[in-house]
Amino acid sequence: MRRMLFLILFELKKILNRKKALLFLLALNIVPLVASLALIVAYVKFKGFGFGEVQFSVLHEIVKGLFTAHFKLFAFIAPFFLALVVGDSFSTELSRGYMKMLLLTPVRRWQVITAKTLAIMLFLLLAVCLGGFFLQADLLVARSLTQASGVLPDALNIDISKPLYLVSTSSAFQLLVLTFVGNLMLIGFFIVFALFFESAILMSFTSLSALMGIHTFYLIASSLLNKIDVWYESAAKWCFTRHLDELFSVNTIETILESRGNLLTDNIFTAWQASLGWAVLFYAIAVLLFSRRQILH
Amino acid sequence: MNAEMSAITVNRLCKNFGRKQVLKGLDFSVPLNTIAGFLGPNGAGKTTTMRMLLGLIPGIDGEITMLGQSMPGGRTIALEEIGAVVENPAFIESMSAYENLYWFGSLYKPLTDQRIFEVIEMVGLRDAARQRFGTFSTGMKQRLGVAFGILHRPKLLILDEPTSGMDPAGRVHMREILTRIHDEEKTSIFLSSHLLDEVQRLCNYVVIIDNGKCVKQGYVSELLSGHSEKWEIRVADEDAAKTRELLATMHEAVIDINQGPRGLVVSLQTGKSAEVNSGLIKAGVRVMALIPLEASLEETFIKLTGNGITVGGGA
Repeated sequence: MRRMLFLILFELKKILNRKKALLFLLALNIVPLVASLALIVAYVKFKGFGFGEVQFSVLHEIVKGLFTAHFKLFAFIAPFFLALVVGDSFSTELSRGYMKMLLLTPVRRWQVITAKTLAIMLFLLLAVCLGGFFLQADLLVARSLTQASGVLPDALNIDISKPLYLVSTSSAFQLLVLTFVGNLMLIGFFIVFALFFESAILMSFTSLSALMGIHTFYLIASSLLNKIDVWYESAAKWCFTRHLDELFSVNTIETILESRGNLLTDNIFTAWQASLGWAVLFYAIAVLLFSRRQILH
Repeated sequence: MNAEMSAITVNRLCKNFGRKQVLKGLDFSVPLNTIAGFLGPNGAGKTTTMRMLLGLIPGIDGEITMLGQSMPGGRTIALEEIGAVVENPAFIESMSAYENLYWFGSLYKPLTDQRIFEVIEMVGLRDAARQRFGTFSTGMKQRLGVAFGILHRPKLLILDEPTSGMDPAGRVHMREILTRIHDEEKTSIFLSSHLLDEVQRLCNYVVIIDNGKCVKQGYVSELLSGHSEKWEIRVADEDAAKTRELLATMHEAVIDINQGPRGLVVSLQTGKSAEVNSGLIKAGVRVMALIPLEASLEETFIKLTGNGITVGGGA
């Protein structure tokens, strides 16, 4: 257990050492960062004209919308980040000999796969939370500015004397679960590719092409080809990208944010369960492949 | 040899790469508390064997036992007592020597800073402890590899070509380091090398393989004792021709006569040197010097493998 925890920390350190990962951290959060800065500047500027009591309500609505957009955008960008970081963690390490050094120690191969996956996941969850923190901070700063101005109450009846959270703890937890499950499946998918390549770039291009190909087939098969033959509809149902689409749809995100549903709501439950199933399958394949992989560099 | 008494025991080990059979039923064992050399010409299967010993090539056809643990089932337990570097050490280039040792070494067991710096000191990298691995010379990289191998005080250290790419001074330094590790940490060492004189100077046990099979194994002293004695005979210039003629008639004692740079180099049956010396003196030859030449592992190697000294790793 101690060795496993240490291995996860080591993998996390390796990710944080890469400039590529830090650039992605910025890219994944550039929208909430820039938007929250711009909003607070605009808010302060307009308050000077005496519209504070209106501005805060408007700001609150904009920030909530931005949070949904951030989550959706994150889900869109994450596969590109994951392909590269999984490529670095497996393909590059295989070619540079880091993997050989790891396997000379008493760690098991499944532990290597698990530790790398969990380290990537920790980094990803940190990245998604960071955007939320920016937006939450934006609200808190705006509220304290409003309180300081003495202009009360707010037009949308927001009780500014109570703690103001962008998202409830329960919704935040459920969104993190969705992020975890959806990206776990993607990481598993990319690892299977990474074990066949010793170039991270080549692996990324190939796996992303495969991912986009599968998703394109799903879109065409489920909306067009199903009218020709019902087989296409059945095939589209098995596309794992369909579950990703459902997990990170605006509808799912808003349902959870507005507490209109939860992880046990029908379509959300099906989507994350199916994603988990695919993740287990990809991991089983990855562990099987890796256990038979000859380390020759 | 009993597997429990051995550091390494390999039985009937086979390995194919595609259609090429690299190992063809390899059998050997290495006793504990030795510095064992692993010799073989290019392509003999040395690196493949080492990779299979350490589980880098899965799917063992044959039997491998290390420190009493059968592979691959006992790999994890065995590796806790084994330090190893196969081919060039590949540490993370953006991290310092200390960081690399800390992160990789702690996967064996928790390490103290004291132990890390003790090992860094032992391999002579004290001044480079905080230097990035990417800026290291080949010799420094090899020494850091050895440091990684001994961090957790293993019972067995496995090294593949530890002096590969090093200059003569670096090789001498590495020899000193390995001898010190063996003496001070009581670590058995199993190393492959293509430098026969180096193996002869450093190792007390040797395993020679060729074409995927073990052709000889044993203590170096025992291997060399089976050799004929080699002597250099220096005589006055005017006696040189006569000496050669006389030696040629001594069939019972003399095996081979060659011209050396400063005298005749003769191979003699063991224990016949005094007889030859007195024979020459009785015949009036002024023997100015009779110098024993040390038996060489290279001769054994060439005799067994039909190869000269080879450079570089195999498959």
